[in-house]
Amino acid sequence: MPPPAYFLSGHAINPPVLKSRPAHHWDDYMYQRYHVETSPALEIAPFPNRTRVKVKKHGLATHLLKELIRYRGNREVALSRPCVYGVFSGPVGGFAPRNYCCVGCLRCTIEYPEMVQVYPEPEHRLLGDSYFTPEQVDTICYEARTGRIPVKGAGYRGPFGGEGWDGMWTDMSEIVRPTRDGIHGREFISTAVDIGQKPPFLSFNEQGAATGESARTFSIPIPVLFDVPPASVVSRKFLQIVAAAAQVAETFAVLPLGALNRFALQGRQIIPLVSREDADALTELRFTPLMIELDGWNEALFREIRRRFAESTICLRHDLGSSKELLKHYHSGIRVFHLVANYHGLGPDGRFVLDLIREAHGAFVEAGRRDEVTLLGSGGIIAAEHVPKAIICGLDAIALDTPLLAALQARFLGECLDRQGSRFRLPRRLTVNWGVQRVENLLASWRDQLLEVLGAAGLRDVRRFRGEIGRAMFQKDLEREAFSGIEGYGQ
Amino acid sequence: MDNRSRTAEQLVIEKHTERLRRGFHLWPGLKQGRPPALGDYRWTADLILSTWLQAETGMPPTNGLEHRVGNSGGGFDRLDFKFFPQDRWLPDTVTIDLSIPLNRRPYDRRIEIPVPFYGAGMSFGSISEPVMRARAQAAQVWKTFTCTGEGGYPESLLAYKDHVITQIATGMFGVREETIQYAPIVEFKYAQGAKPGLGGHLLGDKVTATVATMRESLPWVSLFSPFPFHSVYSVEDHKKHVDWVKTINPEALVSVKVSTPTDIDMVAVGSYYDGAHIVHIDGSYGGTGAAPEIAKKTIAMPIEFALPKVHRCLLQEGIRGEVVLMASGGIRTADDIAKAIALGADGAVLGTTELVALGCTRCGNCERGRGCPFGLCTTDPELSQLVETDWAAERLGKLYQSFQLQLSDILRRLGLSSIRDLVGRTDLLLYRSQEETR
Ligand code: SF4
Ligand code: SF4
Repeated sequence: MPPPAYFLSGHAINPPVLKSRPAHHWDDYMYQRYHVETSPALEIAPFPNRTRVKVKKHGLATHLLKELIRYRGNREVALSRPCVYGVFSGPVGGFAPRNYCCVGCLRCTIEYPEMVQVYPEPEHRLLGDSYFTPEQVDTICYEARTGRIPVKGAGYRGPFGGEGWDGMWTDMSEIVRPTRDGIHGREFISTAVDIGQKPPFLSFNEQGAATGESARTFSIPIPVLFDVPPASVVSRKFLQIVAAAAQVAETFAVLPLGALNRFALQGRQIIPLVSREDADALTELRFTPLMIELDGWNEALFREIRRRFAESTICLRHDLGSSKELLKHYHSGIRVFHLVANYHGLGPDGRFVLDLIREAHGAFVEAGRRDEVTLLGSGGIIAAEHVPKAIICGLDAIALDTPLLAALQARFLGECLDRQGSRFRLPRRLTVNWGVQRVENLLASWRDQLLEVLGAAGLRDVRRFRGEIGRAMFQKDLEREAFSGIEGYGQ
Repeated sequence: MDNRSRTAEQLVIEKHTERLRRGFHLWPGLKQGRPPALGDYRWTADLILSTWLQAETGMPPTNGLEHRVGNSGGGFDRLDFKFFPQDRWLPDTVTIDLSIPLNRRPYDRRIEIPVPFYGAGMSFGSISEPVMRARAQAAQVWKTFTCTGEGGYPESLLAYKDHVITQIATGMFGVREETIQYAPIVEFKYAQGAKPGLGGHLLGDKVTATVATMRESLPWVSLFSPFPFHSVYSVEDHKKHVDWVKTINPEALVSVKVSTPTDIDMVAVGSYYDGAHIVHIDGSYGGTGAAPEIAKKTIAMPIEFALPKVHRCLLQEGIRGEVVLMASGGIRTADDIAKAIALGADGAVLGTTELVALGCTRCGNCERGRGCPFGLCTTDPELSQLVETDWAAERLGKLYQSFQLQLSDILRRLGLSSIRDLVGRTDLLLYRSQEETR
């Protein structure tokens, strides 16, 4: 099989094959299920296991001797091991436990308390940072490795609720399903969203033809884009991975204009990020992007981009926080907003992204303009569950930041708060092929999880989830409803 | 029998069974400390070890193990009781009544259980047959119930049929006329707390020939329970289900197991009007043999929030007196049972707690490979032998005994002589600050 197009074409990113079919092809009239191809992509850098098994070697030797005597030399019985996952099945058994096989069931230590101990692996605790916890890194790596939904036995193991996303639950329906076809009825749930500007209403002339402003939108089949990477990882290889992954998944990647020019990258799936400083570099851009992202408001630059790239949609990258300013920019002509919190989900005033998204969405609803604009969001959205939650709070789609890095096994070097100041170290053996597959796997897993949430809620279209606060439950509200009147509550 | 007359496989099983039981006995004694990797926020190492201890001794621990609350920082772990001063406690001479009725309507069969809990549905296939039998045996001894789950009705359960609830779930696996006729109570499982709105999935590895026969399917092929019931499009359709069961077994009481959406109160009201005797609410932090992590954490609300909502709604509707409200999904201890009742339930349904009593470490590997390495949630013929029915039934009985003691003690300290008087008494609860619960 020849390698995929994005490697053959050097730096250029080809449009997806599907889109180049003649319009009358019979397949175009068939239902096309959106599908991200998954394939196992094992870790390329050492990845610490959750647990470390320690065996007292002297104790083990004595024990084996005793067992051989007890069972009269019957090696099958005397040497039978407590671990059914092969940790003690290496060439020298328990004398060199194979930690990487350990799933932390603890049967060994229950059976042999004096001889075997299982500890949480200290190296594992070093993954991620204070917001992106080791458990979350673990989950992302599993998703990027397998493309599957993490499924486990036993119930939920974490804290009861908490601040931010943890204090929010999504609704379900006992009997309503989007469809009764298919195993879970998931096949026909749409995760497509539209990005761009829409008129508040349509006008028609007497002949019934549409007049006036028309919608200028494009759709992506999954409400996930890729955000601009932090400075410490920008390299040709990294940008190629992100751009190619966006192409395969039929989504978009926001990439810095300077780097695009430097590495001669182009393609339909790329959204150049343009700041005041690199405005001149616009002349060097080798393609007409579908969308250009403006790094902070600058009227002159806005006009310049509008003039030069009349066909492109302009998106404004803006800190989450000031709703008044967002409305002001709406009146200046912006219809797509990319609202950004820092990597820990905090806005400039220290409030969490969840509240900030609700506020921004609410401001547009109140102004009667919500359906005319698209709200994208980044920062603090680091788990599959955060996507539906962010959409319920009011986003149309999210742009992934640090989860991409975790999927690519980047090590967080200290606290990673923002694009400029954070430092990440990518694995030395990183390749484009591997990277693209890891990102595709992550997307496939997240989309399947989004389908689970939508299916449980009885919805067949992610667009219907946007701003549907009634289909969410917040810990503060539930607690007030359930516990007010109980002594000590609310004090 | 000496070692020579047994096969190597038998000896291997015996060896590990013996070691495991020794471990379950030794660890709660704390001589080696606590296993460093044991426990999580909800089930702390102390809760797991204390459950093992109770299952051995029939008593709550006295060696400092925290056996009442976990470390989740919310819900039951923040609630406590407003006990009376000691001089107002009920004296030991007063008999405490822990019994609850399972039918509060003025008609249909009367069933009462002497303790305010019964066993949750765990299917044959997700758990081993010896574990299933042990649960039924313990239910029989304690005159309470256990539930088949959705995996069919193994013949070995017939001896305990008066204490077995037959579950009908969306896949209809193993549902036959006779299994409905055996049952004093039939439970319709509309949803499960750990995977609300998602149906079930038994991985092919667990579908052995026996499991397949029981479920009338093919060995080694994964089985899906769809979601929801394909015969139910509205709450009214549920009435058809009840009528169908009543035609086959007019004597049976009907339980409806649902999860916890925002409108759980309305679901409960609808279930009542459609003929349910028991409304069983399964909160989102409940157990499962396998479920997407996103579902366990994210979808539907914890039981602590659902109970007061439903209880108050049923009161407002004027039907609370005719509904038996059972709670499950994250009920771990005797304290949790009492708190659930104070929040509005009549009683509790226990699942994970029973497995922990039998040695579950909450490792979450139930669905991996051959299944549970402790022989609990597995159909592997070798691993299943690690749990002996009589041993397991005795441990469950001991756990029940400890819960009975603790519940009686809680009531005594609250000045109540019947568990029925605790229902909905949120005024007897305290909400602890985060600092106090640390
Ligand atoms: S904890 Fe479980 S998986 Fe790990 S070594 Fe021990 S028995 Fe094996
Ligand atoms: S596999 Fe682990 S969580 Fe599942 S029942 Fe066994 S011990 Fe418990």
